Amino acid sequence: MSQPNAITDIRRDLVALLPRLRGFALTLAASAPEADALVRDVCAKAIQKSHHWKGEGRIESWLFSMMRSTSVETRKKRRAETTVDVRKSAPSEHALNASPLSSLPDGLASAFLLGDVEGFSYKEAAAILGISSDVFAKRLCAARLRLASLGMDTAERRA
Amino acid sequence: MPTSQPSPLQQRLSAYADGEIVDQERHDLEALLVNDPQARTQQDQLKRGADVGRRIFDDLLKEPVPLELVRTIKNAPLPRRAVRLPQAPRPPLSFHPSGPQTLAACLIFFALGGGLGYMFATNPAGQTLASLSAPPAEKRDWLDDVIADYRLFGRQPRHMAEIGPDGKADILEWLTTNTGIGFRIPDLAQSGLTFAGARLVTAQGHPLGLLFYKRSDGDSDVVAIAFGSSSPDFGKPMEDIRSDTAVVSWSTALATYVVVGPSSAADLDDIAAKAAGLL
Repeated sequence: MSQPNAITDIRRDLVALLPRLRGFALTLAASAPEADALVRDVCAKAIQKSHHWKGEGRIESWLFSMMRSTSVETRKKRRAETTVDVRKSAPSEHALNASPLSSLPDGLASAFLLGDVEGFSYKEAAAILGISSDVFAKRLCAARLRLASLGMDTAERRA
Repeated sequence: MPTSQPSPLQQRLSAYADGEIVDQERHDLEALLVNDPQARTQQDQLKRGADVGRRIFDDLLKEPVPLELVRTIKNAPLPRRAVRLPQAPRPPLSFHPSGPQTLAACLIFFALGGGLGYMFATNPAGQTLASLSAPPAEKRDWLDDVIADYRLFGRQPRHMAEIGPDGKADILEWLTTNTGIGFRIPDLAQSGLTFAGARLVTAQGHPLGLLFYKRSDGDSDVVAIAFGSSSPDFGKPMEDIRSDTAVVSWSTALATYVVVGPSSAADLDDIAAKAAGLL
């Protein structure tokens, strides 16, 4: 049985990028298991659509965009399926997530990860999130301010 | 925890930290940071937030990825690729006539149209398309087949007959059986002809007996007597010349006979008259 070409085998890239994909998934999902499920779905999609990836630009941009759109679809499906009020269930799901990210309003953690941790330009990051550059800049700034206050709260609690 | 939107200055400072502002604005902000302690405080706040966030994400990224997730991705089947089988390159189907070619085509079609128009104009009674498309040549008849057989075999001196002149008994039995016509082999020595053998052929899909004679004086002319039962009734004796071949035919109640020879044979009618009495 012939082995697939290592260069064209996207599965290697995906495994190498797994921690970063998981990190971005955690900013989109309500809990770690949901984030893992999101990563699994996106990787499966990426493998099936690997012929669409032409090798131009960063593969992370393509994967992160796919993850963001998959997350939106998943949320829509969940809203359609469940009869439970989302407003009531969302905080409890976030409560399961032990990460401090859960305390950030929607969209801020993703903006911080893309702009500050991953080092995407405002234009690239805005394209991944499907928003304008101005909105992204505002979210990134807000995320930094919220994280700064979070750090101060933690320090005060420690003191 | 503050929930208000970031101020314009905070946004500018945040963008400044990321290098996302133009040169002029950067100079303005740098000057402001030198002179305005409140701006420096806000910048510090943003820096602190960035540090906190990086630490959080560093911790997240250090978390081991679930092994099951890695296995799922590694073992995921790759999509099937459409394989294009090698094939000879198709010749390009392009039609780009040049100016002279276009002109020539126009002239040809003009001449064709003019010719057709002339034909219809000179025939006002109107011929049907069927009559126009009908082949001008006459349909081949039984006599044409007889002449064709004669011309084919009469020009092959070594293979003219299937049974030679020595096998007269065989010829009589063979041709009588196959043509259904009782006959005798005429002796035409008085006309200067020597019997050269016989052959069974077909005319219009029916069996035809051919008796070949050669000139006794050594001339290469060949004369043949053909007879068949399923042949048209010519009624009275008929003489004709087709394709440089002369024919004299007559019919009886049971068969039709034809004497075939070169159109140069002036005595063919005499031969036919004698053969009719001897057959």
